[in-house]
Amino acid sequence: MATIFPSPEWLEKLGEKLNADEQYARIAKKWEGDMACVVEPGGPLKEKLIYYLDLWHGKCRRTAILKDLTEVKPAFILKASYENFARVIKGELDPMQAMMTRKLQVQGSMAYMMRNVPTVLDFVRCCRDVTSEILS
Amino acid sequence: MQPILKINLSTRETSEYRIPDEWERDYLGGASLAARLLYASLTSELDPFSPAAPLLFLVGPLTGTVGPAVGRFVVCGKSPATGLWAESNCGGFWGPELRFAGYDGLWITGKAEKPVYLWVMDGRLEVREGAHLWGLDTYEIQTKIKEELGQHSARVAGIGPAGERGVLFANIMCDHGRAAGRTGLGAVMGAKNLKAIAVEGNGKPPLVDAAAFNVLRSQVNQALKTDTMSHFYHEVGTSGAADYLEYLGSLPKRYYRQGVFKNVDKISGSTMAETILTGTSACHACVIACGRVVRLEDGAKRKGPEYETIAGFGSNLLNDDLPSIVRLGELCDRYGMDVISASNTIGLAYTLFEKGLLTEKDTGGLALNWGDAGVAEQLIHMTARGEGLGEILAWGSRRFGRHFNAEDEAVQVNGLEVAYHDPRAFSGMALVYATSPRGACHNKSDYFTVDMGQADAELGLEFYERHSGAEKAANVARHQDWTGVLDALVMCRFANVPPERIAALINTACGFNFTMNDLLLHGERAWNLKRAINNRMGLTRANDKLPKALMEPFPDGGAAGYVPPIEEMLTAYYAIRGWDPETGRPTKEKLHALGLADVAHDLWKL
Repeated sequence: MATIFPSPEWLEKLGEKLNADEQYARIAKKWEGDMACVVEPGGPLKEKLIYYLDLWHGKCRRTAILKDLTEVKPAFILKASYENFARVIKGELDPMQAMMTRKLQVQGSMAYMMRNVPTVLDFVRCCRDVTSEILS
Repeated sequence: MQPILKINLSTRETSEYRIPDEWERDYLGGASLAARLLYASLTSELDPFSPAAPLLFLVGPLTGTVGPAVGRFVVCGKSPATGLWAESNCGGFWGPELRFAGYDGLWITGKAEKPVYLWVMDGRLEVREGAHLWGLDTYEIQTKIKEELGQHSARVAGIGPAGERGVLFANIMCDHGRAAGRTGLGAVMGAKNLKAIAVEGNGKPPLVDAAAFNVLRSQVNQALKTDTMSHFYHEVGTSGAADYLEYLGSLPKRYYRQGVFKNVDKISGSTMAETILTGTSACHACVIACGRVVRLEDGAKRKGPEYETIAGFGSNLLNDDLPSIVRLGELCDRYGMDVISASNTIGLAYTLFEKGLLTEKDTGGLALNWGDAGVAEQLIHMTARGEGLGEILAWGSRRFGRHFNAEDEAVQVNGLEVAYHDPRAFSGMALVYATSPRGACHNKSDYFTVDMGQADAELGLEFYERHSGAEKAANVARHQDWTGVLDALVMCRFANVPPERIAALINTACGFNFTMNDLLLHGERAWNLKRAINNRMGLTRANDKLPKALMEPFPDGGAAGYVPPIEEMLTAYYAIRGWDPETGRPTKEKLHALGLADVAHDLWKL
């Protein structure tokens, strides 16, 4: 079955991937922090989309699609346009490049993030791995 | 632009110099304009310590406005360390204050009979007796001068004992720990018996379209304030990148000779933020505030170290004690010494001691063992005071190595110590270090950021793999050209402003109509002009190289097994630059295309 980004199935598959991937488990073994990916509308996406992932010691404890961020206060929020999220997931845009060229905003503890850049990069690898199609 | 005040310290003559309109258009300001202004006087015969040697302080066209991170100035001349073009820019508040006082630059020649300092206030200059300041450190002179002027809002840039003694990596400091650090211009200032320059003014920087500029700079600052990179610099400072740079193998260890430093977390900006950090500091009108304020056991608040300091006095010496790094950085600041060159030269001393090329007989009984910060502290004192081995350390790494028959162990290019971004982690830095107009500098293109991902499509930059080779030569050249624009503006590297917004700020401030391509051409013109200045002072193709240590692969770590293919990269780079591969000079055709016909004439009759 095709796993299309963005879709509930995609998020579910990502959660499964994070729980099964040995490389991610190794690299992210010290990671403690939930994360929200806020996808701003654009292209085929008509409304803002928020994907929530509770990441803990190399595993994903929970995924959810949120309407807003009033109920949860994730440790990290990644925010970008649909186009830029799609480009990152397609592998057309490096996640560090996206962040350093103003295409991806990161909110949360920079001290924690900078100690764990490899974890974030491997998280993106898992996102790419589960994606078979991008909604266009 | 406002006039430049010319001062001859020998004769006390002064005059105002008006910058020709075409030079303002073609060079903008800052280091680019300085290169044009000083071109004729920077010759191979010029002794940088002679009265004839110029010392030019310049601002940029946006300095003193409330634009994004533009409160900087640059100091230019001939470097006593390299014998080549010297430029070093500095933040704080001094540059804006000079503009408020009615000048866009101070062009200093001559030598005062006795130590003096300058007092520039609202278009007036006073040369004041300064013998009582001689020997004071760079923080003490600020307090003292403000007190005796009765002007506590004055800004003071000056030298410490290192500049007085002619330490070849003496710097010029202002405010709290802001440094024009590299190329030894503090020693040039010292040779002129010029201890400090105090400035104060009540004017405003000229803006051609102030209304449009103010709307734009407000929008730009708002965006900059919320940018992730600004968030990063504000929260963890420049040393916040240490963990990731270590992961990639870029953080130098054991004087560039070790692949892994397990204790990086003990010294990183993240740990600093969670332990000793008590606040931040900012330069004029900056919304980022990357400066660190820390508190140690004595309870005093002081400047916290930047990345180069935690690398230089930390991992470079295998020292994982953060408070000691804070103290060593402060000591260098107070003496007025560049932390990169000081820590690099001390790293060389440790290396030679380990190899047995330097003994306790040379060191006065000191054992230079890796990780020993106490010894590093003693060496800093000895360097600033000219005591024992310190007298030789004061010459910088190239001459220090040469003195002990080990020049090739020194990690330097053309006499300037390599900064703490290893080209074995980021191959682009190999070209940057080899071709920078002031020696192994990481600021004439901080290309490691591009190799990490800051490849801005607006500049036409592509994102190459960090270990790719000659194919990135054009990218490096383009980034150097853009950096030249920032150096003309004297704009901070850490302001992650979209390039087209920077162009718009220049156009509204100066009344130009520059496109991005126009600006990149400005950068290219300045790069080639500085190259030509260096060629005239003796630089050739043979100077474009990397030190031996950087051409040896690490067995482990994030850069394991890799060395940059520097020769292939240089060949590609020369072709892209339009430089003659035999002589290393820009070709006549290239110089003419850049509007540098006079330079072409001079260079090719050599």
